[in-house]
Amino acid sequence: MNMNANSLIDGLVDELEPIKTIKPITGLAVTGLLTLGVMAAVTITLGVRNDLAMGMADEMFFLRSGVLLMLGIATTFTVVNMARPGVGNLNRGWIWAALTAALFPVTAAIMSAINAPPVEALRPMEGLKCLAISGLSASVIGTGLTLWLRQGAPTSPERAGWLVGMASGALGAAAYNIYCPFNDIYYIGMWFTLPVLISAVAGRLIVPRLIRW
Amino acid sequence: MIANEETMRILMVKAQGGDKQCYSSLLLECEKWLRRYYARKINPAAIDDLVQETLISLHRKRASYDPTKAFLPWLAAIGRYRWIDSLRKIYRHEHDELYEEMVADPQDEDVTAKVSLERLLGMISDKQAEVISLVKIEGLSISEAAAMTGQSESLVKVNIHRGLKKMSSLIENE
Repeated sequence: MNMNANSLIDGLVDELEPIKTIKPITGLAVTGLLTLGVMAAVTITLGVRNDLAMGMADEMFFLRSGVLLMLGIATTFTVVNMARPGVGNLNRGWIWAALTAALFPVTAAIMSAINAPPVEALRPMEGLKCLAISGLSASVIGTGLTLWLRQGAPTSPERAGWLVGMASGALGAAAYNIYCPFNDIYYIGMWFTLPVLISAVAGRLIVPRLIRW
Repeated sequence: MIANEETMRILMVKAQGGDKQCYSSLLLECEKWLRRYYARKINPAAIDDLVQETLISLHRKRASYDPTKAFLPWLAAIGRYRWIDSLRKIYRHEHDELYEEMVADPQDEDVTAKVSLERLLGMISDKQAEVISLVKIEGLSISEAAAMTGQSESLVKVNIHRGLKKMSSLIENE
């Protein structure tokens, strides 16, 4: 061993202090609390869907909520596990959740090919509102998750960026979903898919430079 | 002789608790392990820097080690990450003899085989692995590598770029 390595090791040993190991459950908790926070903010500022408020929510609401939450939880789970690297850790469960979530836009595309959707079904004004609020919610959740991930050692910052974006996009859309009154497959296929996609792209562009080590 | 996996795991757990003596022993063992790990996978002149950078990363990211899991896969993930980062920075270096004594570590052969850099190189296409080895590890120029492999110079550059990018996404794969 050369002198440089020796003195480096001495220096690192001198700096040593007890540390708490990173626990993925903390990352999950941070994400969960932020998601509940933005859900509360949506509820307070916009309210909840009428059918939900009356306790008779449409079945599409449950399907949409379940798929968005599953996608958000599965991708968050992968992200928090990326904080603790190790050869052999594959964490690919999120792929199945993403494929399941793709059923909404794929179904909308197939239905559009069979019957051209009426323009009013897409509701561009309401859709843009959905996109903006979901995106804002996603940015809050994504910021918290990224800050937590910075403590860890993700070995693939690009993939972590995609997944942080996808997780926060899905959870942000799930928060807006509490208010959104529309159940049309065309609307859901477009306006609940776009926030996830845009958030994933934003995550890929922004997050890697913040978590690289 | 390098400490085995279980010994290193125990040393790391104690180091996370603040035991400086165990940490010193661990870093010495890691230094030896990393030297063998990187042997033949980077120009020998760059090994010292790479080993030291990896030790610094180990120190900074020691909270990311899960004490319930094996130690070497964690160290190897950090080692692979720093190795690819280092290959990206190397554009041209002198031809040096590879140190013959730096052969693969006979300790923990099963673990070492699973986490080896050789295996990572095996996950990309043969053409990409060939030009990365020639240019980034053996130190040939782009034009020399192009002449040797029959690939155009631009294709050599593209294959190096794509190969490194692919490997960086596969760091945790066995």
